[in-house]
Amino acid sequence: MKSSILRQAVILALFALLPAAGEAIYFRDKISWRSAISPSEMVTVEQAREWGDTAIWIDARPDDEFANDHVPGAILLNEDRWNELLPQFLAVWSPSKKVVVYCSSLSCNASREVAQRLRKEAQLSDVFVLEGGWEAWLKKKR
Amino acid sequence: MKETSNLQRPMLNTEPTAYPTLGVGRSSDIGRFLWRILGLVVAAIFIFAGLTKILDLDHLIADLQQLQFANALADLRNVSLANPGEFARDIDNFKILPWPVSVALAFYVPWLEIFCALGLVFRFLYRGALSILSASIVVFTLAIIAAKVRGLDITCGCFGHASQHWSFPSHLATNLTILVALLALLFKATSEIRRQIPFNSR
Repeated sequence: MKSSILRQAVILALFALLPAAGEAIYFRDKISWRSAISPSEMVTVEQAREWGDTAIWIDARPDDEFANDHVPGAILLNEDRWNELLPQFLAVWSPSKKVVVYCSSLSCNASREVAQRLRKEAQLSDVFVLEGGWEAWLKKKR
Repeated sequence: MKETSNLQRPMLNTEPTAYPTLGVGRSSDIGRFLWRILGLVVAAIFIFAGLTKILDLDHLIADLQQLQFANALADLRNVSLANPGEFARDIDNFKILPWPVSVALAFYVPWLEIFCALGLVFRFLYRGALSILSASIVVFTLAIIAAKVRGLDITCGCFGHASQHWSFPSHLATNLTILVALLALLFKATSEIRRQIPFNSR
């Protein structure tokens, strides 16, 4: 009887794979399998550099990492001291500026979280996450 | 040629549509009816849960909650596919699984919920459907408890945006209620099968 339940469960699980695979194919360009950030919310180092002075760089890493080194002109804004640091960022922000947030690497979440909070809490629209984060910046700098 | 009697063949995929006639009477009819209703209610919950993740029903649900039925009808005509990325982010917020797995589950779980719910409606692969749904509810509940213990502020995504502002106790109470219903249905179905199949064929 147990094998019968298991067999039924496997059949159902396989049935559900078919439409799921179809949906995954349909959304292949709209969702990234590599990162939780949608492609439209990401920016590469090259693109962000092209924006020049119209971009504000936000460093979402912890204080000590920022103190160690950071993108020239970047402003520290991490979740540890969000309430304290947010006014400093808003003081230099203007509607014409694009915001580029980065954290340490491709796998870190801090830049995504900070970008999300800027969109939701500060109601900013042009907020982008730097693809590859600080590591990607260092590679391109060389 | 040796024939095997129908009684001795184990029933694999289909479930008994009629219950044994022990104690035939009005009370057994009512009992059977109530079990069926319970199964359909549970199925409806999972169909709803699956659809809210596959389709963008936010406006429709909001209008129904405010009893604006005319607007709800208009929303119904404009229903589109939901972006699975939102559900994937809900899963990712639990900080248990890597992102690619969250994406795969965002595509897969809603369809699994719907297929299992249809299994309950049509009594096809019935116990398999009940066991998958029970297992998934246990996993969801454990994930919610783990997130609470770790102090994560999560949106479970269980019923799309309809469950966005549910508190932890609401999540827990809902999941446990559904789990109790599922286990009761599974127990009932298993005991019915045991009564119908001879012991050596189980």
